[in-house]
Amino acid sequence: SGGTGALAQWVLVELQGEVQPRQGGDLAGSLLGDLHYTREGVPVLIVGHHILYGKVVQLEKPFAVLVKQGGAPQPSPAGPHGHYTVAALIKTKLLFKTRPKPIITHVPKKV
Amino acid sequence: AAMRSRAEVDATLQTAKLNPAELLPAVHCLSFGPQAGGGECCLLQLEPGLCAELEAGRSLIIRGEKDEHAVLCSKDKTYDMKIADTSNMLLFVPGCKTPEELNADPASCNIIHSQIAGFSKNYWELRRCRPKLKKLRKLLMEDPYEGPDSQKDQTSTFSKYTTEDLLSLIQASEEEILHQLQIIDACKIEGYWRILDFDYEMKLLSHVTQLIDSESWPLSKVPLCACLEELGSLEPREMIEHILLSYGRKYVDDGVVFFEMREDKICRAIAQMLLQNAVKFNLSEFEEVWQQSVPEGMTTRLDQLQGLALVDKSSRPETIFLLKVEDLPEDNQERFNSLFGIREKWTEVDITPYIQDLCAEKQTVGALLTKYARSSMLNGVKVFNSRRPIS
Repeated sequence: SGGTGALAQWVLVELQGEVQPRQGGDLAGSLLGDLHYTREGVPVLIVGHHILYGKVVQLEKPFAVLVKQGGAPQPSPAGPHGHYTVAALIKTKLLFKTRPKPIITHVPKKV
Repeated sequence: AAMRSRAEVDATLQTAKLNPAELLPAVHCLSFGPQAGGGECCLLQLEPGLCAELEAGRSLIIRGEKDEHAVLCSKDKTYDMKIADTSNMLLFVPGCKTPEELNADPASCNIIHSQIAGFSKNYWELRRCRPKLKKLRKLLMEDPYEGPDSQKDQTSTFSKYTTEDLLSLIQASEEEILHQLQIIDACKIEGYWRILDFDYEMKLLSHVTQLIDSESWPLSKVPLCACLEELGSLEPREMIEHILLSYGRKYVDDGVVFFEMREDKICRAIAQMLLQNAVKFNLSEFEEVWQQSVPEGMTTRLDQLQGLALVDKSSRPETIFLLKVEDLPEDNQERFNSLFGIREKWTEVDITPYIQDLCAEKQTVGALLTKYARSSMLNGVKVFNSRRPIS
């Protein structure tokens, strides 16, 4: 359902490939990277040893982020049956399609 | 994990050989939120209009039993749902600002710690579809209303549906469901939606038509009050009014409620009453009996029977038989299979009433025929037959 009050606006970040945690730990809580924008508005994402350049895209068809009610984890791919609420709308995405540029270094400089 | 500091961010920029002067001052440090891997979030791609509906505070509902393909319903439309796979990773990030937003707010924080709420490799795609309304009639036909004197109603309470029941069982939007209830002349009796048993419906109709005849009222000006007064001792007043609403057009003249009786609908109902008693009829005999059976002043025409009966022009003598479009399958391919099983070759004129309801929003009957049938010429007339052998 929509719910009362203004709906939150989130942003979609689209990356190529898989996202994997370092040292094989849990994803939850772990850092992905730093997101900068150039003065021209180009998004720049530093993930691990890679620099990704992307672009800001206004989505022709916005997305709704649905959260399943009832707590149970996502069941079979057979169907989205169940109760959902809309957590947010997404009208913008940051699309990173370019081949990541590796950062050639050994260890990030510590302060 | 400890939150990154500005110093760490700057150190990373330096290692990456990026010039801070070429960047906006604010940075988003992205990390995965505590729920991120849980899979409780999913993405739904919105068709035009749905975004505005959500922003206006209206709901979208996913409907379907375990054995049905799920559909998504807005207030007045129904959509099929399909998973679309991308080869990319889609992360959904609350509180992430665009360059425009950052530039518009110069006081914005230097470091924004954004937690990724979830991620997915796929999303739900929507495609507008016909509401799945055949089930509505099927449910209401489980227990048609036979009148207040019927024994059945007093004993059983199962198979009766409220509006809420129907909303949870039918894969269609609320408006589409309510509209269909009106089309099939359903009525609410004691809070439950009911369809009238056909024989009872015809009994009610004949009370009214006989009264019209004996009072010599014009068919276009049948007074509600008089009907309720004269017939109120025979049938419940709600039923009398319901039959007038079903078979007439209500209007008010000088404060008085009248009905303009619907000739086509009445003739059609009487035809159904005659045709349901046999497998088929001699056409000319049927036409004679039919005309004699309708109220004085009404004229029967075969085109009143579209989607109800089919004339077999190839038999000698010509015959007519009952074939109700609402008894045929709802799925496109199954409908065509069924029709071609009944008759091998159809003219467009004959088949149109039986496929008209399959047309999607901007689809024509011609487009349907192109897709599901093959055309050929028979005695100078274009006919359609099945694309595949019918067993």
